[in-house]
Amino acid sequence: MTRKQKEKLRKVLFYFVLALIVIYLLFPFYWAIASSLKSEAQLNMTPATLIPRDPDTGEISIFTRNYRAVFANGGFIRGLVNSTIVATSTTILALLTGSFAAFALGKLRFKGKAPALYVILAMTMFPQVTVLSGLYAVINALNLSARVSMIFTYLLFTLPFTTWVLTSFFRDLPIEIMQSAQVDGATPFQTFHMILLPLTAPALVTTGLLSFIQAWNEYLFALTFTSIDPSARTVPVAIQFFSGEFARQEPFGEIMAAAVLVTVPIVVLVLIFQKRIVAGLTAGAVKG
Amino acid sequence: MRKNLVLVIALVFVIAFSGIVLAQEEEISLTVAGGAVGQEKELTEKAAEMYMEDNPNVTVEVLETPDLANDRLGLYLQFLEAESPEVDVYQVDVIWPGDLGEHFIDFYDYGAEEVVDKHFQAIVENNTTTDGRLVSMPWFTDAGLLYYRTDLLEKYDREVPETWDELEETARYIMEEERAAGNEDFYGYVWQGDAYEGLTCDALEWIYSNGGGKIVSTDQEITINNEKAIEIIDQAAGWVGDISPTGVTGMGEEDARAMFEAGNALFMRNWPYAYALASQEDKPTAGNFDVSPLPAGDSGSSAATLGGWNLSVSKYSEHPEAAAKLAMFLAGEEVQKMRAVEGSFNPTIRSLYEDEDVLEAVPFFGSLYDVFTSAVARPSTQTAPQYNQVSELFFQAVHSVLTGESDAQSAIEYLELDLMDTTGFETGEPTQP
Amino acid sequence: MATSSSSNLAKEEQKLALKLLIPAFLILVIIALYPLGQVFYTSFTNREFASATETEFVGLDNYQALLSITIRELPPVIDEETGEQAVDEESGEVVFERPIRVLPRDPHLYRPSFEFSFFGNKYVVGARTPDFIRAVWNTLVFTFFSVFFETLFGLVVALVVNSEFKGRGAMRAVMLVPWAVITVVSARMWEWMFEPTRAGLFNMLGDRFGLIDGSYSFLSNASLQLPAIIAVDVWKTTPFMALLILAGLQMIPNELYEAARVDGASKIRQFFNITLPLLKPSLAVALIFRTLDALRVFDVFQVMLSQKRYSMASFNYFQLISARQMGMASAIGVIIFIIIFAFAILYMKSLGVDTE
Repeated sequence: MTRKQKEKLRKVLFYFVLALIVIYLLFPFYWAIASSLKSEAQLNMTPATLIPRDPDTGEISIFTRNYRAVFANGGFIRGLVNSTIVATSTTILALLTGSFAAFALGKLRFKGKAPALYVILAMTMFPQVTVLSGLYAVINALNLSARVSMIFTYLLFTLPFTTWVLTSFFRDLPIEIMQSAQVDGATPFQTFHMILLPLTAPALVTTGLLSFIQAWNEYLFALTFTSIDPSARTVPVAIQFFSGEFARQEPFGEIMAAAVLVTVPIVVLVLIFQKRIVAGLTAGAVKG
Repeated sequence: MRKNLVLVIALVFVIAFSGIVLAQEEEISLTVAGGAVGQEKELTEKAAEMYMEDNPNVTVEVLETPDLANDRLGLYLQFLEAESPEVDVYQVDVIWPGDLGEHFIDFYDYGAEEVVDKHFQAIVENNTTTDGRLVSMPWFTDAGLLYYRTDLLEKYDREVPETWDELEETARYIMEEERAAGNEDFYGYVWQGDAYEGLTCDALEWIYSNGGGKIVSTDQEITINNEKAIEIIDQAAGWVGDISPTGVTGMGEEDARAMFEAGNALFMRNWPYAYALASQEDKPTAGNFDVSPLPAGDSGSSAATLGGWNLSVSKYSEHPEAAAKLAMFLAGEEVQKMRAVEGSFNPTIRSLYEDEDVLEAVPFFGSLYDVFTSAVARPSTQTAPQYNQVSELFFQAVHSVLTGESDAQSAIEYLELDLMDTTGFETGEPTQP
Repeated sequence: MATSSSSNLAKEEQKLALKLLIPAFLILVIIALYPLGQVFYTSFTNREFASATETEFVGLDNYQALLSITIRELPPVIDEETGEQAVDEESGEVVFERPIRVLPRDPHLYRPSFEFSFFGNKYVVGARTPDFIRAVWNTLVFTFFSVFFETLFGLVVALVVNSEFKGRGAMRAVMLVPWAVITVVSARMWEWMFEPTRAGLFNMLGDRFGLIDGSYSFLSNASLQLPAIIAVDVWKTTPFMALLILAGLQMIPNELYEAARVDGASKIRQFFNITLPLLKPSLAVALIFRTLDALRVFDVFQVMLSQKRYSMASFNYFQLISARQMGMASAIGVIIFIIIFAFAILYMKSLGVDTE
């Protein structure tokens, strides 16, 4: 085999793997899209069809009423707004406090580092349902509004995550950068602000995105904390409140339509931020 | 004389003041936590409007709660644990009054005596705690029904089955014929066999209709371990993979409905809600099905498990009296009639089943009157506050038999021991009318 | 002079470190301290959720009820007529006594959680709360397989996305789609795909390719429940792993690869000598959080298996909401807490991540 052929084979193999990955990751989502375009009768028909078809004639027939119903549902749009507010605020708070803590834990010398790390991790080691009633009591005692209580309670899982991930990244940064900065007369805070933060952009964006999505998807806390304030309901709760005409009927098509619609803004968000994920340590940035 | 004068002045004062008090009647705001389902919520809001028209000093708000029973219960528990005054009236499942009773007021303290006789006896009993407090007003009822395909029974010249054996026989015959005719997805009978509350309902129907009692009797004896019960559970286990798909052990109401509406099942056990949905025009079942009472077993009569929802007033409400009045209005004749006519909600008031407007809107209410009045309540009141555990042990045991993990006898023997452990009750023989 | 300035510097560093940690710990104290403390405390009581019943301190009773197990041998059944071991007529296998006759009932009822054979003898493992013992087992199996496959697939996806090709940007967005679908909804979506009729995707496909008969029930067949759930979770969270690993890859300086290339090291050698060792710290953190989430897995179990098969967290949920045994539920929470802690330390130590 010549070198060229080898190169070609490698390329073919690469794109084959790539195609497999794309199909694996996207097909279930495609199935959700297809389901969202089916009426109840089309969903129930056997065998299921890859493209929405009419049960009688077998011709392609797209059912759009699910989407119209989702948009007609005021709760859904309101939910999008609430989710955006809550997830963004939580993420910013978690990144701020998390990166402060991570800088101390990853780069500064002090006693009791390991206990501090584990104590922070301990915040998130209980199942959500176990801490729910305790949290509810705290929120009632502090008299927090529904949105604020979601923002703060979501820190329970976003803060340990950002702290730990960022700590591991800060720790990896070459010590020489800091030393050279200190030699240049920069205070530790300046070192943190001017040098470490930009260098760890990929880690910040990655943890930010992952925490954002985690907060965006949270259901149990949101359900409980917004129970008496329906105007603060987030998207997952709003979708769970979708209902058919009758009790017990589950509007599956509408739920799928909403799920598809909710995923779009996230994909857009990732598209905006994705360049940052890989714009991290470049050779030139490392001095000395 | 002077004394009289003082008295007169005092009287004048009292009258004047009470006049002022009456004129400035307190502004009250009440919250009803209820179903979020489209039409259900609309009708509740409409009923609230009706109430506010008659009582201008009261504002009623309807708070929608999740449709999933477990989510809703979780939320209610959270409110009750916090003794929250935010919700005044709760819409509660027919199995909750016993468990949650300690948090609710007694309607007998607020004049329920007068209206209670109009409602179905079984529900009133169900909503009365063991110490005689009526903690819930019946609102609308539900009962298990047998859905059957009229076109297929006609095609193969069969009758609607009246016993489980007949159902089995008819289902098997038509299923074989239909499959031979090319519908390979066709099954005879679909029901709720997943391990959840729905299976408790279905299995209670089998057992009660076979003369096997209702798991725990009204006088708190564990009666489940008897031949009749074991026999019918064994029979049902035989349906799985035969007239019912093996997957029936993972089916809930909605899965069964999906199969029936796709035209892939001859019989279905389901609640009345499926009637309107299966009649929708774009579905193969439209115009081709009807409902009847479920088949009977050895007892000779059919049994339907009691479902439905009730209204309770929280003890932690700031205005328990006004809330009780509102709950009794919502559960009253006027509102129940409106809900029956406009939303096919089954009334709990007997006379409404003879009401012309109601019968015109929902014809099967009349023919199935007996099913609704004689529905069997799950043993939720007598096992309170442990009903959920009792039910879970029961459906887990039945489910293990359905999936073949365990034989009916062992499963029921363990169930009996477990129930004794959980409730502390003695065992007894089932007594049935 | 030099020493004093360096110790001054050290002091300053310590001070700064404390200041930087204040916000995180402040949040921890306000939000987490009370609920966490309450869970620990409640786990030693018999508290009922939303009930006026007096709460009593019961010590370790809840833990005992959850964790007590016993192993008993099941004696073979002796046929009364022949005096020999009874044999099942259909299967031809030796019949053993039923567990109910063997397991202790007093002072506590032990129920069978599973049976096993060992050198021709049959044993039963009885537990006071067999559902919990099974839930622990389910969760551990689930955690092991899902984390393993997520890491593997995540690594592959990250390496692919990290290489140069057209449409790389779009691919990074595509990669995150499963993670972005709302968890509760994605579980419902998969449940519908697993539907036991040909209305479900897998039965439709299986039937079309002649593999299964079109009414296969994935979620009520005991041997397929865990594989199905694991498949769903792997699909859902592979992106999480992939993105964290991708970020880790970005932190590896390019010079290292250039140097290796100059030395003529093959791609595979580069991977094992450079990529993997330098990826360790980010991998450790990713593993910790994945394992932590997997051990607390709730939504997929709750939606897809509900009360057919529990994970530790879904069992916990039913203990709290339907049984209202708050003391018991808290004890389960504490047990999960301890298991997670053990895993976290294990990862840190075995992957050689230095915390100090």
